[in-house]
Amino acid sequence: MLSRKPRLSAVLLALVMGLLVVGCGGGDEGGDTGGGAAAADQTLKWGLGSEFVLDPGLATDTTSAKLVLNIFDPLVKLGDNLEAVPSMAESWDVNGPNVVYHLRSGATWSNGDPVTAEDYEYAWKRALDPELASDYSYQLYGIKGAVEYNECESNCNALRDKVAVNATDDQTLEVTLTSAQPWFIQQSAHSVFLPVHKATVEQFGERWTRPENIVTNGPFNVEAAQPSASITLVKNPDWRDAANVKLERVEGRIIVDGTTAVQSFEAGEVDVLDEQLPPAETPRLKETPEYELYPGLGTSYYGFNVKDNIKDINQRRAMSLAIDRQSIIDNITQANEKPANAFTPEGMPGREDIVAGEGSPWTPASGDLEQAKELMAQAKNPKTKITIYSNESSPNKEVAEALQSMWKQIGIDSTIKILEWQQFLEFLGPPPPKAVDIFRLGWVGDFVDDINFLELWTCDSGNNNTGYCDKEYDSLVAKAKQTADNTERYAIYKQLEEKLTGQDGFLPFIPLWYITYPNLERETVKETFEINLLDQVDLTKVEIKEA
Amino acid sequence: MTAFIIRRLLWTIPVLLLVIFLTFVLMRQIEGNPFRRTDRAVPAAVQRNLERKFNLDEPWYVQYALYVKGVFTFDLGPSLVLRDRTVNEIIKEHFPKSLELGVLAFVWAILIGIPMGVIAALRQNSAYDYGLMFITNVGYAIPNFLVATLLIYYVSLKLGLLPTNGWQTWEHKILPSFALALAPMAYFARLVRGSMLETLQQDYIRTAKAKGLRWRRVVTVHALRNSLIPAVTAMAPLLGFIITGTFVIEVIFSIPGIGRYFITAVTSRDYSVVMGITVLTSVVIVLANMVVDILYGILDPRTRDART
Repeated sequence: MLSRKPRLSAVLLALVMGLLVVGCGGGDEGGDTGGGAAAADQTLKWGLGSEFVLDPGLATDTTSAKLVLNIFDPLVKLGDNLEAVPSMAESWDVNGPNVVYHLRSGATWSNGDPVTAEDYEYAWKRALDPELASDYSYQLYGIKGAVEYNECESNCNALRDKVAVNATDDQTLEVTLTSAQPWFIQQSAHSVFLPVHKATVEQFGERWTRPENIVTNGPFNVEAAQPSASITLVKNPDWRDAANVKLERVEGRIIVDGTTAVQSFEAGEVDVLDEQLPPAETPRLKETPEYELYPGLGTSYYGFNVKDNIKDINQRRAMSLAIDRQSIIDNITQANEKPANAFTPEGMPGREDIVAGEGSPWTPASGDLEQAKELMAQAKNPKTKITIYSNESSPNKEVAEALQSMWKQIGIDSTIKILEWQQFLEFLGPPPPKAVDIFRLGWVGDFVDDINFLELWTCDSGNNNTGYCDKEYDSLVAKAKQTADNTERYAIYKQLEEKLTGQDGFLPFIPLWYITYPNLERETVKETFEINLLDQVDLTKVEIKEA
Repeated sequence: MTAFIIRRLLWTIPVLLLVIFLTFVLMRQIEGNPFRRTDRAVPAAVQRNLERKFNLDEPWYVQYALYVKGVFTFDLGPSLVLRDRTVNEIIKEHFPKSLELGVLAFVWAILIGIPMGVIAALRQNSAYDYGLMFITNVGYAIPNFLVATLLIYYVSLKLGLLPTNGWQTWEHKILPSFALALAPMAYFARLVRGSMLETLQQDYIRTAKAKGLRWRRVVTVHALRNSLIPAVTAMAPLLGFIITGTFVIEVIFSIPGIGRYFITAVTSRDYSVVMGITVLTSVVIVLANMVVDILYGILDPRTRDART
């Protein structure tokens, strides 16, 4: 009942917009892209991969992130090369640990209120509020006073005021970081840095994200939403750059099962999927013109338990050399992943300086069985009966079986243990349990600086399940964090990468491949629908062409 | 009858307490962290804040008491995973879809299954009988995910008659409810055939026939009524189960029902949602059994007399 009025006006608005698009199309639309004229109906039908949460402070999965980044306006966006691009902030100044964002004026929330720097300050402090218990609050830990507030047991209000983010006026947001963090501007493109409308949050509490309550400030407004079934977004005509937004409407439908999603796409019910293709279908889908593949900023690896079991460096090198990565990619994972030759993934800014030449000598794409056998022979007390741990989802088991047969060739007998995902994570530690010799895991970047990857392997990292601990490595990580200059910092990253996978590297894990996001996209949107390295989609760039 | 219903309703309380206790214990036995869903570890401070927010830092008996209190005050608490939603909202949104799917499937099963069983029994050992029993054997043996996949492939993709998935219009509802109905349909047909054959041998049927009653009346009034008792017995738990969500069908057809979300909740260790849905399922099954007991009384007065 309540939604009737706004819905009617939205339909009318969409009609008017549609007429406008049709009216002023033709002339300039056709020429610039060469990919055909814009379709009259700018509605994107999107198959979404999971249930979503529309609260930027609480969103954790990639489907939610894709949605919130298009209904709220981030200070900065990431450009094609993951560089920071102005969005709600038209510029920023960085001076060591001091960051100042200068916001555009005239922007409004969907209820007409002006968008101010204070909205961002409120949202960031809200995300750090221990009462909210935001999963991604740690993304804000670079801000002075943030950790103390997020960890507070008592006196929290005083600590809240000490968090060094201040809106000094409506258009200025001043932030003081714990140290110079050259990546902070790009990091602020993350969904947890999005603003929220204070009055709405305070009025409705946990129910503020319901479609009848939600107030947003992004290029799209939420018209309707059923968090486990569907969401409808409509273009926000009052958004600051609405003139350049082509899409009028986004109809998102949740299709959790990959096979069902592919069928729905093939029946023409959705135009684009949300990377969830079943591996068994990949060989067939790859041959269709709708198949699209995006590189992701992530590394898939097998970690050793270096503390208790696989202690000999020659055995670790031999096990890495024995792997024919290319064959696993071609025959099992099938998503055209790039064989990994370092931990730092491709696409990472500065990678050409961080990973020297061909990368690690221990990771040839097709393996080197001869050298592997030689090194295995040199290993002192090698462990020849090992247990591989993996989780159940496809194609992890098949990959484990392939590795089993590859390691068999260098005289290692392995048993595969498959655990359910949650049990697997709980079981792995850290510290690693004695029963584990080697395990499968991966790392996908939160933000675009290699520190986010290399920090994983410090002694007390919660993500280092190998037992690898090198004080020198830790002090280099600490030093890198204090180094603002990119060239100097990348030089330190290079040392770190060398310590892990280089000629004399410790090799606590075997890098396998860099992840990709395969997707199906109707040819009418394929040209403009893009998934970036961090698995984000900018709907303001999407335009539906005529079939 | 009223006393019977009240007694049965009162009995649901200890049943629920036991169900909550067992679910609670089982959920805590399996390892896992509801706040960690990816390869990424949760920083200690964040984990602490989350545990505090959801009372997971309390001793187990306090947590159990809080759950019990929640159930009996109809406030099942917030979801640990879908962070901006409560379990009540999740159930309110998902359950009606599963209920609708289950009821539709049940209607298919009864409308087709029972007549199939009756026809097979009346024409015992005929081609009809063998044909129908062959169909029911196949229907019962083929798992519903295969039926669902085949239906989608032929009906939706090849012929383009119905949508592949979703739950928006009546067209979306045909395939999933039929796929779900197939096994119960076959089951009912076989049950009814068996008991019908037995009933037709009874003395009172012979008497009715000897008295000169029309055969149609003998079958519908005397034979069928008594032959339905085993089917009614089977209906209760079946109805209870299919309306509280069927994971496979809901996943394949992308139906936002309770079954799909229940499995999602178990794999992501969303304790409060698992608890809420389990309690709901037990209530529904207890009630379904009660309805059957009442139906028994109507179909066969002897059972009613024995009970009250």
